[in-house]
Amino acid sequence: MSLNDPMLYAYLLVILAGFLPTDVFRSAAVLFSRKIDEDGELLVFIRAVATALLAGVIARLVLAPTGDLAGVPLWIRLMTIVIGVAAYFLFRRSVLAGIITAEIAIVGGAVLFR
Amino acid sequence: MANPTPSGATPPPDAPEAPPRLWYLRGTIAALTSIQAVVLFSGFVGFGGLVRDIGFPLGAAILSTLIVWALPAQVLIVGGFAAGSPVAVVALAVGLSSARFFPMVASLLPVIRGRSGFWTQLASSHFVAVTAWVESFRLMPGVPVNARMPFFFGMSITFILESCIGTVIGFYLAASLPQALANGLIFLTPISFLLQLIRNSRDLIDRLALVFGLLLSPVFAQYGGQLDLLWIGLIGGGAAYAIGRRRRAKA
Repeated sequence: MSLNDPMLYAYLLVILAGFLPTDVFRSAAVLFSRKIDEDGELLVFIRAVATALLAGVIARLVLAPTGDLAGVPLWIRLMTIVIGVAAYFLFRRSVLAGIITAEIAIVGGAVLFR
Repeated sequence: MANPTPSGATPPPDAPEAPPRLWYLRGTIAALTSIQAVVLFSGFVGFGGLVRDIGFPLGAAILSTLIVWALPAQVLIVGGFAAGSPVAVVALAVGLSSARFFPMVASLLPVIRGRSGFWTQLASSHFVAVTAWVESFRLMPGVPVNARMPFFFGMSITFILESCIGTVIGFYLAASLPQALANGLIFLTPISFLLQLIRNSRDLIDRLALVFGLLLSPVFAQYGGQLDLLWIGLIGGGAAYAIGRRRRAKA
């Protein structure tokens, strides 16, 4: 399958790599709707793998952005993450406070240093 | 409107049943007035900005909001697109991340199904995502059992439509905002996901998986080839699981 056409590649990703593997689990749950144990060993393992996967993608979006964000120096992107996480813990585990603080940091950094 | 909107209090069990259409409307209103919807909306505005920055087509992004309806999976898709990962690799990654829908749907269905048939239940399962799941458990106690399905459809379809609008707004904002603000918009996705992962980590396994995933990412971006995403998940998640198990066995 040719991945040279970005349009085709994007739509194939959405349908084959997005819709199918997601709704398989939603539909399966309807078929076997007897309650399953959320802390069963297999699910704990799957959750660990999924968490690491998502963390990996997040890190890549920050470390190696492909678009305009690449114009913001790496150290500012990293500092923003540190500041955002610090604010999250400082404001009693508030996701919103962490996001707002990080946004101020990244926009300020972009204004001053890019 | 003749009927007052429910204030969240449990209606008397023998109240005359309102038509399903009214409960659909009430679900819509519940979605429009939910705080969670604001969080959801800003998440998709950020996604729209990210999509624009990566060069992912807007049509495919909107389609993903409609038919995938899981922001983590959608971030994996555009991340895979940016990295040029093979479709099968991204599918496996998305499958692993979407496996959590199995217990989510299985736990929500008994609450909302009422007298609805199999196909209605199957259709409703597509609309289950984190926000609708959380809001359902909060609001359903105030909804009569047989009105829950229409209420759920009204609420969750509104969530999806809001998110589609957010995706489009973010996409165009990324192009029209001053550069520094556009950078902030694009940064919304990684920082909010990171903080939510931190908040949702329940035990040592979760925390280790998060840290390993972050640390392994630059290593495998360099040496992992096309399968790097999977290596990060399997090695990072597998190591976290193994360490967590050993700690538990010793305790």
